[in-house]
Amino acid sequence: MAKSFKQLLGDDIRNTRTMLHEAIPITGTIASGTYTGATLDENVKKFSHGMFESVYDYPFLSSSANHIFDITYGCSTSVSSSGNTQNAKKLNIYNQMAQILMGYDTGSQIRKFDSDGTLNDGGAGQMDHCFFLNFSRLLTKDEIKKNSFRLQLFTSGGVSGNGSTRGVLQTLGDYRAGTEYRISPAGDYGLIFTSSAGTDTQGNDASVGLLFYQAGIAVLTSSIFQKDFGTPAAVLSDSAGVKGVVAAATGSTIEALADSFRHTIHDVDFNNTIELNSTIYFCRIGHNEFNYSSNPTYISGSRLVVKNQSSDLPHSYITTVGLYSPDNELMAVAKLSEPIKKDPNTELTLRVRLDY
Amino acid sequence: MAFLDNSGDIILDAVLTDTGRLRLAQGDGSFKISKFALGDDEINYGLYDKDNANGSAYYDLQVLQTPILEAFSNNSSNLKTKLVSLPRTNLLYMPILKLNENNITEPATAQNDRPTKTFSRQGGQTFVDFTYGGANKSDSKFYVAVDNFTFTQLTRFTSGSAGSATNPNDITIPTVGVLQGYQAGNEGPSGGIIRVDHGLDTNEISTGVGIDADLTENAFIVEMDYRLGRLKEPSSNNLAGVNFIDDDNVATYYVGSGAMINPKGAPSNTNVTNETFTGTADDTTPTELQNIAPQVFDGPRGNTFQFRIQASMELNQSVYLFNQIGQSENADASGNLAGFPTTSSPVSGMKIYYIDSTVRVIGANTGYRLDIPIRFIKIAN
Repeated sequence: MAKSFKQLLGDDIRNTRTMLHEAIPITGTIASGTYTGATLDENVKKFSHGMFESVYDYPFLSSSANHIFDITYGCSTSVSSSGNTQNAKKLNIYNQMAQILMGYDTGSQIRKFDSDGTLNDGGAGQMDHCFFLNFSRLLTKDEIKKNSFRLQLFTSGGVSGNGSTRGVLQTLGDYRAGTEYRISPAGDYGLIFTSSAGTDTQGNDASVGLLFYQAGIAVLTSSIFQKDFGTPAAVLSDSAGVKGVVAAATGSTIEALADSFRHTIHDVDFNNTIELNSTIYFCRIGHNEFNYSSNPTYISGSRLVVKNQSSDLPHSYITTVGLYSPDNELMAVAKLSEPIKKDPNTELTLRVRLDY
Repeated sequence: MAFLDNSGDIILDAVLTDTGRLRLAQGDGSFKISKFALGDDEINYGLYDKDNANGSAYYDLQVLQTPILEAFSNNSSNLKTKLVSLPRTNLLYMPILKLNENNITEPATAQNDRPTKTFSRQGGQTFVDFTYGGANKSDSKFYVAVDNFTFTQLTRFTSGSAGSATNPNDITIPTVGVLQGYQAGNEGPSGGIIRVDHGLDTNEISTGVGIDADLTENAFIVEMDYRLGRLKEPSSNNLAGVNFIDDDNVATYYVGSGAMINPKGAPSNTNVTNETFTGTADDTTPTELQNIAPQVFDGPRGNTFQFRIQASMELNQSVYLFNQIGQSENADASGNLAGFPTTSSPVSGMKIYYIDSTVRVIGANTGYRLDIPIRFIKIAN
């Protein structure tokens, strides 16, 4: 009996999982909003509620624009004060991020961010003033690859004028995450250090933030900034011994803080991870199978055009593989990049992989 | 759909079809892959040059250079032609499917003689007080009348005797190719069927040889737009059971036995073609079988597949779908598609609504397929 289908046996179907990584480079001009040249911040979307701002890779009013990341700022109850500008919103942001990323302690209190990952609220490493970089899922996909995150940041100087007063460029990264990371309610997280040695500029072994891999969120302490910290329009200096960022934390809006932070970014790089679950179908084609075709051009007056006489070997050309349900419903299709000749002298195994 | 890069290693570009995604999303276990088939849609075997003077290496040079398109996600656009497995290597002839439009040209007088032709109407008829001056109308489609009124109007000119009628309503003009596309109480002799034959389209093999058992097609797959029509048996109002309906509303029927395969017995393999209809309803003797089963193949004949189409209730009851995906024209317009007269027409002031579609018949084993053009037609105000 002529047949045009072949059953897949249990041994012909295999499941596998593959991790794919893509390099994601984000230049500082995108973060600062200066790359478009003529008009500043065309790619930075601000909101009337003033709780965060969004950075796009293109003027955000364009349908071509892709969301890159959001920036916001929050402070903990330990340092909040009713006199601070937007105090409630800063507190709400901090608590919202903390309850999602850090979870709750045994007393059902929201756990605070802890730069050393020890989860001892009130102890060393507690981060009370935090900048949050929330990367779009478009970039992070399933997660950020561990030990791939690098954030080059100017940690000193203002950004007025052409920004030439910025200084102390540091490369923050999750340097140790390849071998050491922690688990939170929001998935894995690693510590962010200022160098691969894991020490800060003063030689202290201290992390300056946390990177949540699956959530795609970087949490940075504001302590990383020294001296001046301000928007292009207004520099907040360290007059009277107060760090610019501390002054901004109490006297500036979240939007102004986010603006200032954006202008300190020199470059962001990381690799994302895509978890591919695949099913591989081994389509095994025996020597005596699929040597004829139902293609109307295969015959002329019912006679095979590829044969002169009946003793000639039949052959056909494979261009397509169709995967069917038991009801003969076409579920998936695979195309070869060029025709493959099939005759009774050949056997083939075509490996069709479907990714989910 | 772009071409695949064929400059380097052979790659395999795989994609879920839209139906596959639908079944996956349904999450009811209907997404299950259990078999595979191979296709050669892009290949034109006419490029195979088996007489190339440079030798056999050049026979399929052009075939192998055929660029391949990316995979379509539309399930019905892929694997239109499948490769076939046959253990034998000595085949020189392969059977095909062919629409049987042969031989029955007389007005229907018996149920066995329901026309298998596509639509045609004889024009230029002269009557006592009226001349139907229209030209002959013919179309390469089957017309499916979606309701009784439409069927009556399309076929009212089909019986009687020319030269005697004085009223256009009584005019008699031979018409064939109109299917009774509604739940009629009596399918009647002129209800029309579609007949597809399987056989060897060659006169190099005697019909008496017959088709080898491994080449015989004994099951057929029918695909049609479920919004428009249903598959119906040729001699009853029984509708066939649907196997599945895909995301594009294309219903697939698998017919492996029953009243649609050889309803009047297997075709004769006596070496006769183009027999003349005898008008005999009794179809038990071989000769009469031949007579009521006109052949399209000069070579050995396999099974016949006969069916009708019933229009969907949406088409039967309203013109909504006709307005959405069809067309319309005035029923008394000059050159109207049904061949109605332009004056004194019984359908004057009405419209002809129609939707053109295709019914696909596929040999379930041999994979050969035939696309049959269908026009769903409705006459209404």
